[in-house]
Amino acid sequence: MRYMVMLTMRSDVGPPPPELVEAMDVAMTEAVGSGLLIDAGGLMGEDATTFTLRSGALARVDGPFAEAKEVVGGYSVLDVRSHEEAVEGARRMMQIHLDHWPGWEGSCDVRRISGREEGPPTS
Amino acid sequence: MTTTTHEAVVAVWQLESARVVSGLLRITRDLQLAEDLAQDALVAALESWPDDGIPANPGAWLMTVAKRRAIDTFRRAERHRAQVERLKHELGNDLSETSMDELVDQVDHVEDDVLRLMFLTCHPALTPESRAALTLRLVGGLTTEEIARGFLVKDTAVGQRISRAKRTLAESGATLEMPTGAERTERLDDVMAVIYLVFNEGYAATAGTSWMRTDLCLEALRLARMLAALAPGDAEVHGLQALLELQASRLHARTSPTSEAVLLEDQDRARWDHLLIRRGLAALARAEGTGQPVGAYTVQAAIAACHARARRAEDTDWVRIAALYDLLSAAGDNPVVEVNRAVAHGRAFGPAAGLAVLDAVADDAGAAYGHQWHAVRGDLLSRAGRGTEASAEFRTAASLTRNDAERSLLLRRAESG
Repeated sequence: MRYMVMLTMRSDVGPPPPELVEAMDVAMTEAVGSGLLIDAGGLMGEDATTFTLRSGALARVDGPFAEAKEVVGGYSVLDVRSHEEAVEGARRMMQIHLDHWPGWEGSCDVRRISGREEGPPTS
Repeated sequence: MTTTTHEAVVAVWQLESARVVSGLLRITRDLQLAEDLAQDALVAALESWPDDGIPANPGAWLMTVAKRRAIDTFRRAERHRAQVERLKHELGNDLSETSMDELVDQVDHVEDDVLRLMFLTCHPALTPESRAALTLRLVGGLTTEEIARGFLVKDTAVGQRISRAKRTLAESGATLEMPTGAERTERLDDVMAVIYLVFNEGYAATAGTSWMRTDLCLEALRLARMLAALAPGDAEVHGLQALLELQASRLHARTSPTSEAVLLEDQDRARWDHLLIRRGLAALARAEGTGQPVGAYTVQAAIAACHARARRAEDTDWVRIAALYDLLSAAGDNPVVEVNRAVAHGRAFGPAAGLAVLDAVADDAGAAYGHQWHAVRGDLLSRAGRGTEASAEFRTAASLTRNDAERSLLLRRAESG
């Protein structure tokens, strides 16, 4: 099963402390090494565009979105054997933020990826 | 206990068991004891986490509990030994012994332990089936039931296979070791062969009604990723990872919605898993980037990469694939390679060239080459416009395969000639 984990945070948090970067590095190397983490990326604030479709009208707004309170800061794709394994992978990432980034607030969505990327159903 | 907590404990266990078991094996030097201690820690987690919540660092929690049990076990043994020693001393004997402090010091050095564990579970003293079962159990953290399901055998058979394997290892005096030089190369080959066997068991089930058993493939892929991370200086481990990522990228394109087998060239390439393809190509680049001479897995991965890079079947670089199969063919006597080489030569240089490769090994056709020799011959004859002969070969192939899905595919081809 494949999961996407998205990390949402306040847009004005500033750069992460070196302790966080270091701890995330260690954790991600370990997760890649165990075959759990198969893709990941941070999402940049600049070079962002949003399309909205409302009342039959398509609108384009180019970023950066200084007024946005919360942004998706990054994602990872996990290759797991159970929902709880994905949850545990995400929990570890949040635990690292708790331990190494004082005052940081945010949330983390753990979502199973459906469709062809997921592979055939296993019975 | 709620189902969620139980599943959470199992998930943590699967993520941590290789490290916990290998760490314990380092200090106990006893596979059975190490696994018992690890199981004790798992049971302790199942008992206390539902009430206390999952600890912040569950891996460390499991390891700490298991270490405490290990030390208790040693202390009991120590006390027992001390009594024996006293008796011996009173009888005039004097034996040296490892001190308790030394044992405790050994607990925290866990680097490389997982790789040592893989060398042990793939030890040459064991049969290939035992190696696979023991590796899935101790490195993959799978239950005997899960392994049994993967290999389509009874739980008890897997349980017995694992106990027998542990006994064999104990009797042969095998311990956690980090071989060097030529022996390391050989032992790494053994580990890779086990991972490849597990993958193939899932990828092309030789018997039964299922064309593939995906869970085993994904488990093997995980093991290959682990091995590549644990031995990054060895080119071939990246080659193996590349091969499995690329093969796995086609898993869900290999069967039609009605569960029929779809051959590579007929597969809908939009259904290939492009994330796995990207990972496979990256691993192949790592293998080739080491500058070391590459082995059979890397060459096979390079072949798989030729298919992966072709956006349409007709864009496939068959000339390069034929050259890569020539390399494999020169390296050893392998019926499967010769059959695939015939396919590649047939596509690259025409059916006659492919038939020439097949006919050169015709004397060995039958048992060693099996149904595939006939299936490929049928395909080449069909492409050469020799429909009647082709149908006969497809029917022979269908009568030889034990896979239901493959049989129906072959019979369909026999109809169309």
